[in-house]
Amino acid sequence: MLISYRWLNRHVDLGDITPDQIAQDLTLSTAEVEGIEVFAPHLSDVVVGLVRTRERHPDADKLSVCTVDVGTGEDLSIVCGAPNVDAGQRVAVATVGTVLPGDFKIKKSKIRGVASMGMICSVRELDLGDEHDGIWVLPEGCEVGSPVSAALGVEDWVIEIDNKSITHRPDLWGHRGIARELAAIYGRELLPLDLSMPETGSGSSVPVRIESAACSRYVALSVDGVENGPSPLWLKLLLLAAGQRPLDILVDISNFVMLDLGQPNHLFDRKQIPPAGINVRMGREGETITTLDGEERKVGATDLLICSDDVPVALAGVMGGEGSKVGEDTGELLLEVASFDAVTIRRSSARIGLRTDASARFEKSLDPAMPMQAAAHLVRTLREIQPSVELPSAPTDVGDWQSCELFVELRGERVRRVLGIDLEDEAIAALLEKLDFGVDHSKGVMRVTVPSNRATKDIGIEEDLIEEVGRLYRYDNIPERRLSAEIAPPPHDERHALVTRIQDRLSGSAAFHEVLTYSFVAGSQLEKLGVADLQYTRLVNPVVDGEECVRRSVVPSLLGLLEKNRRQFTDVRLFEIGKGYCPELADEKGLPGEVHELALCWTRPEPGKKARFDAGLFAQMRGVLDDLFVTIGYEPPCWSAAGEAGELAPWFHPGNSLVGEYSDATKKGEVRRVVTVGKLEPGLHRPLGLVQELAGEVVVAQISLDELLASRSRAFGYKPIPRFPGNKVDVALAMPIGVPAGDLVRAIEKSGKGQVASVELFDLYTGPGIGEGRKSLAYHVLLQSDQKTLTDKDAQKFIKRLERAAADLGGELRSE
Amino acid sequence: MERLAGAASLEDLRGIEREFVGKEGSVSGLLAAIPTLSPDDRRVVGKGANLLKRDIQAGIDQKKGELEAAEIAAQRAGGDFDATLPGAPQTRGSLHPLTLVRREVEAIFVSMGYSVLDGPEVELDYYNFQALNIPADHPAREMQDTFYCDTQGNLVMRTQTSPVQIRAMERLKPPFRVIAPGRVFRNEEPDATHEHTFHQVEGLVVGEDITVGHLSGVLKGFLRQLFQKDIEVRLRPGYFPFVEPGFELDVRCPFCEEGCRVCKKTRWIEFCGCGMVHPRVLAAGGIDSEAWTGFAFGFGLDRLVMLRYGIDDLRHFMAGDLRFLEQF
Repeated sequence: MLISYRWLNRHVDLGDITPDQIAQDLTLSTAEVEGIEVFAPHLSDVVVGLVRTRERHPDADKLSVCTVDVGTGEDLSIVCGAPNVDAGQRVAVATVGTVLPGDFKIKKSKIRGVASMGMICSVRELDLGDEHDGIWVLPEGCEVGSPVSAALGVEDWVIEIDNKSITHRPDLWGHRGIARELAAIYGRELLPLDLSMPETGSGSSVPVRIESAACSRYVALSVDGVENGPSPLWLKLLLLAAGQRPLDILVDISNFVMLDLGQPNHLFDRKQIPPAGINVRMGREGETITTLDGEERKVGATDLLICSDDVPVALAGVMGGEGSKVGEDTGELLLEVASFDAVTIRRSSARIGLRTDASARFEKSLDPAMPMQAAAHLVRTLREIQPSVELPSAPTDVGDWQSCELFVELRGERVRRVLGIDLEDEAIAALLEKLDFGVDHSKGVMRVTVPSNRATKDIGIEEDLIEEVGRLYRYDNIPERRLSAEIAPPPHDERHALVTRIQDRLSGSAAFHEVLTYSFVAGSQLEKLGVADLQYTRLVNPVVDGEECVRRSVVPSLLGLLEKNRRQFTDVRLFEIGKGYCPELADEKGLPGEVHELALCWTRPEPGKKARFDAGLFAQMRGVLDDLFVTIGYEPPCWSAAGEAGELAPWFHPGNSLVGEYSDATKKGEVRRVVTVGKLEPGLHRPLGLVQELAGEVVVAQISLDELLASRSRAFGYKPIPRFPGNKVDVALAMPIGVPAGDLVRAIEKSGKGQVASVELFDLYTGPGIGEGRKSLAYHVLLQSDQKTLTDKDAQKFIKRLERAAADLGGELRSE
Repeated sequence: MERLAGAASLEDLRGIEREFVGKEGSVSGLLAAIPTLSPDDRRVVGKGANLLKRDIQAGIDQKKGELEAAEIAAQRAGGDFDATLPGAPQTRGSLHPLTLVRREVEAIFVSMGYSVLDGPEVELDYYNFQALNIPADHPAREMQDTFYCDTQGNLVMRTQTSPVQIRAMERLKPPFRVIAPGRVFRNEEPDATHEHTFHQVEGLVVGEDITVGHLSGVLKGFLRQLFQKDIEVRLRPGYFPFVEPGFELDVRCPFCEEGCRVCKKTRWIEFCGCGMVHPRVLAAGGIDSEAWTGFAFGFGLDRLVMLRYGIDDLRHFMAGDLRFLEQF
């Protein structure tokens, strides 16, 4: 909202306080000021000139050549095209070098052979209105040579207030409301304003019928004898400063009252209103109204209408109708000033998509005491401009309303306790009284009368009054204090700690980059990945059409990032820790089940040469995971090859994946599947754009943090350093290709009878000498006992057992 | 001895040592032959041989010392070693800047006795609005551009971290101090300064005699730690339905003396909304507002990260672009 400094001064004398100071004090006590600007700065750049002579241009009928005194001692010759220019006028002159609105710089020029040393300006050229039928003739008394703004006494500043900071303050939506605050802040008097209804004639008033509770008061006043035309300069300038373009007296006066008191109002052509008068009712399905902006709008049963008898003539509180627009003949008018229900107006305006200055005010809950005052203010102001305006009949005032004035009890003790300041009851009362609150503290507790313009919504309980005291006292004056209290140590949050450890490990030596992606996934992405059929929490109103699913897993969004990053980097390692939502796991209140997941994706080009059994990136990823689990306090999981397809999420290669399980933390024998790691399903490389120059190995891992937290973690403890040296044995085994290496390792461990301290694969190959359909695996095996130094004899026993175990698996020991 | 003087390397020296005084060396052979001699000869030869061995050994040791010193000197001379060649590339990952700054924020509050809480991102209307004194027809609902998750209006994407206030009150017994960082959602078209998904840090303190003075004390203390300087702040009226009185807290722009782009020439940066917890909110959390008072605050984490690193476009945060992420 734009506030004019000069306009404020109509209500409170602030002449000695700078606009900057006002802005700062308003910000600290009332509402946020977003900025201050000089009003119409070019009014200070143009000067008052006296037209001394005016002669016809020798070569152009429509042009005049004027000599103009601009107070410099030397008259300027200016060529002017306006028909109304004449000798003796005081005019606004833009001299050479002046820049007018629109970046229009005045230059020395020759017009049809006659030199012109400036320009005599019209109202439009100064951006003060649309009139351009001639130059702007200034009043007689203006001092020649001085800036126009100073000569007219219209220097002004525009203070912009953040609307969001006054949503809860219906009383601040007009200049008088802001002035009331400033009067309180500076301890000055709010200048009286006569808001009593002038005497009216005894003619018959227009009948008004209210059929809906959404209109609590309707004041209708007949106004006769208005001659429409341009508004006087003072009114135009005030409106312009407040950001309202002047149009004509009727529109301007209506806007003036709204911007002055914050009460919207509307003028109808009374001749169009039938004897049945005005009817205020809710709309009917299928009804339409063409609003003043020329748009035909569908009305529903939730919209409040002002009807002329039964014909809608205005969308209540939002905009008037085209049909009731006042035409050329403005002799008989009907002024409407009403109180409408805030929620009804807000919904109507939102539903129709039409927000106006009026609806913005009505939806704040305006004071129902105001309509009669605003009506009086309008006609009184109108009479200042046109004294002949008549009020033929008494105002109609109907509606079921009562003054909102209320009483709230305030305990001085509570004020001191909440604000943390030592302020006597008397001082508290004095601050409140500055804001027009009545305070009666005869009985220990303060009984505070809340004026009706504050009581519609903003002030209702004791805390609201504490805020009033605090902001006038100034929050900045409240001394800063340290907290002191006995605080129990917070409950340990294992997940929070775990997440930190995971992030640190992955972003460290594992060289993964943490990403954050949206919680919403596009339906097309889910479709692509084959998970569109699952249940999703869905947005009713997504930002992007199609992106309405709330994710269940982090993986789909992460997979979506691979293509663009592979275009920039050959090796892409990403992880995200995030939440997923599963509607099928909803609680009794309907909140979907929340899962916490860690997902990793790793892709890089296929290496040029690779041994047949080199598990490549998959093995790398598995290594990262084993290391991660150990680092965050778990043993490596119990890995097993993924079973038949369907068990796995569809982005995993059904055959080339592993699932890792842990024992439940408390329940014996229960197993938790914590992690799945696998190559990307081959059919997804193309849909994900990972083909041609971006083709490569892609490995995905998905870890449930919830399952992990429910699993048994590594016990605290340590293994004694071995007292006896170990015996290192190398074995090579030829095995059928189908036997998983994992099975062989288990066989080796078993053959050691508890003496196998470590098994390390150092060679894996297939080829001549091994035989068709066979592979050779070579291991370093460390045998160690905590009882004795193992001898070669012990090693031989181990090898014998291993030989049998290998044979059981269909293979053989090749060498030792 | 001549050969000793001519030895040019430790390798030569080792040869000489082997030849004369090693196990198989000639002097050693001489010594080994002693038992075969007569007792008189033994004494003479033995003494001579031992002396010889000692002299040779001493010569070798001295020469060794010289050669080693020469070698170290040669190493020290450096040869054609070029220390300015680039280091061998190491791979490293990165943490998201939002994680980095969130951790800083958490660490400061934890050091002041706060717990860190979490809350659901898909939230019940009750927690996101109703319990926070934002009933069904409150205009604040529309100002927040809510994403709705069902047509009944029961489920929303939380528009603020404030619902964690209610969840905290339901879970904890006063007095307590908590913060709750997390994602929030508003239905807005993303641009350089707007996102539909962003991050807030909520704070809530409930205790006996908690005052506005404590609120400004805590937030000032936090900001001093965060910016590592004594930072000026101001409290001014601000409207949030779940606090009364409510404030906006501005921070004196840490980047300029006269106004800059960051503070839009105002010298103040809006930092957070805060206030004394509204009695109706305390009641919704099951806390007696006569016995306990509290304050709450909420600030944007994204904005803090942007200030910290000079990031000019909010959209980088959720874009998952390694060219951005690898810088942190």
